Amino acid sequence: MSDRKRLLIIDDDPEFVTGIKAILTRAKYEVDVAHNPKDGWTALKSKDYDLLLLDIMMGRGAEGVMIARKLNKDPKLRDLPVLIITGIREQIAFLFPGQAVHPHFVPVDELVEKPVEPKLLLEKVEALLKAAEERKAKAK
Amino acid sequence: MQQERKILVIDDEEVVLDSCTQVLSGPACKVLTAGNGEQGLRIVEEAEPDLVFLDLKMPGLSGMEVLERIRAKYPLMVVIVITGYATVGSAVEAMKKGAFDFLPKPFSPEELRLITRRGLEHRDLLVQTSALRREKELLRENFAAIVSHELKAPLAAIQQNLFALFTELEDKLTDSQKELCARLKSRLDDVLKLVNSWLRILSVDLNKLKETFKPVSVGTIISRAVETVQPHATRKNVVIQTQLPSELPRVMGDEGSLTEVLVNIINNAVKYSYPNSTVVVRAAAGANEISIAVTDTGVGIAKEDLPFIFQDFGRGKRQPEGATGYGIGLTISRRIIEVHGGSITVESEPGKGSTFTIHLPITLA
Repeated sequence: MSDRKRLLIIDDDPEFVTGIKAILTRAKYEVDVAHNPKDGWTALKSKDYDLLLLDIMMGRGAEGVMIARKLNKDPKLRDLPVLIITGIREQIAFLFPGQAVHPHFVPVDELVEKPVEPKLLLEKVEALLKAAEERKAKAK
Repeated sequence: MQQERKILVIDDEEVVLDSCTQVLSGPACKVLTAGNGEQGLRIVEEAEPDLVFLDLKMPGLSGMEVLERIRAKYPLMVVIVITGYATVGSAVEAMKKGAFDFLPKPFSPEELRLITRRGLEHRDLLVQTSALRREKELLRENFAAIVSHELKAPLAAIQQNLFALFTELEDKLTDSQKELCARLKSRLDDVLKLVNSWLRILSVDLNKLKETFKPVSVGTIISRAVETVQPHATRKNVVIQTQLPSELPRVMGDEGSLTEVLVNIINNAVKYSYPNSTVVVRAAAGANEISIAVTDTGVGIAKEDLPFIFQDFGRGKRQPEGATGYGIGLTISRRIIEVHGGSITVESEPGKGSTFTIHLPITLA
């Protein structure tokens, strides 16, 4: 395939983002960054992305969850694969009381914990992109 | 400033409603009245009174029924039942259902005032306790959130940038530089793990486990735990032997966390064993409890260390070479077992080994 895949990172921790952005750029992905949910949503609406890397705890709470839910309701963005990168896997249990302690408490495809090893990160990204391609091919 | 108190009296006798209103009404106290159960429940919803006087014998919706509905929906509302001549039996039943006290008819104004004062004091206590509990809950959640953001986030950012740097430099580094990088990574990993363990102790409310207790087979959790620890034992050339009776009663509990406790204790036994030795896991059922004992013939625990091994971050002085850990495992294990109504005991002799025994109450089903 000739054209490079375009990824968007939404995460409010700029230092962390430089780390994953460097790894993804080196792996020949085109990477955009939004440092808050609002800019992130604007970017998603104005440009076509192949994958979203999403932080959970931003701003005043679990705003990443709200983005994931909004995506799921948007007919155009519903099929965008999402990789959640979070520092709070263990704490999800009490931050979201009453919901099962399971990565799928939000409508996202995958979840990895911060920090994420480059190999694991690239594997997950590739797998999600591939699955999305296959879904698209099947739809046609 | 004291808030105005609201007292609701539910009784089908007009004279009772009237006299209660006369005796209790005042500048700091408003008395509401209802002539039957349905009307009473409506006022309970609308006004949320501090205290309810409730006649047990009314036509229509019975007092007992009203009591049950109030208790189910407003656990902090204090209900005092009014009972007719010599009906102690129904008063006792009402108390069992959560009434705070009972007031036999006929009563004097003095009796009414006294029981009202006691009821309102009880109400204050209930409200305060509930507020404190909520505050404690919030503190714990906030603390965990703060630690996770302020401590974990920078560490994760450092690690992530190191990862990026190592990836960029991969083919340019000498072996000794690679070695330095690996050490950096591993020390950072350790600190991150420590913060995570900390968070677990501080943020997870183990009492919540009780809500999902199920009958658990002791044999299953033992074999699952042994399976988990097996690779560690194989590496150290330690044999894990299990001795179980053919039939064991079940215990009420949370399978996942009980397995975690056993993994932890068997793992410790392997960790503190000498190579080429055996760790024995035994289970036995007594009249009221099941005991699971894990015995090793390893380094043992010094007498002066014994009182501290179940404390947060307590590790014994005798550490085998290469042993890692932060001394959190036993603390969590003990808390998990205590939530199950059991206990963990330990016997140990330095140089000879240790036996950790988990005692769990047997389910009466």
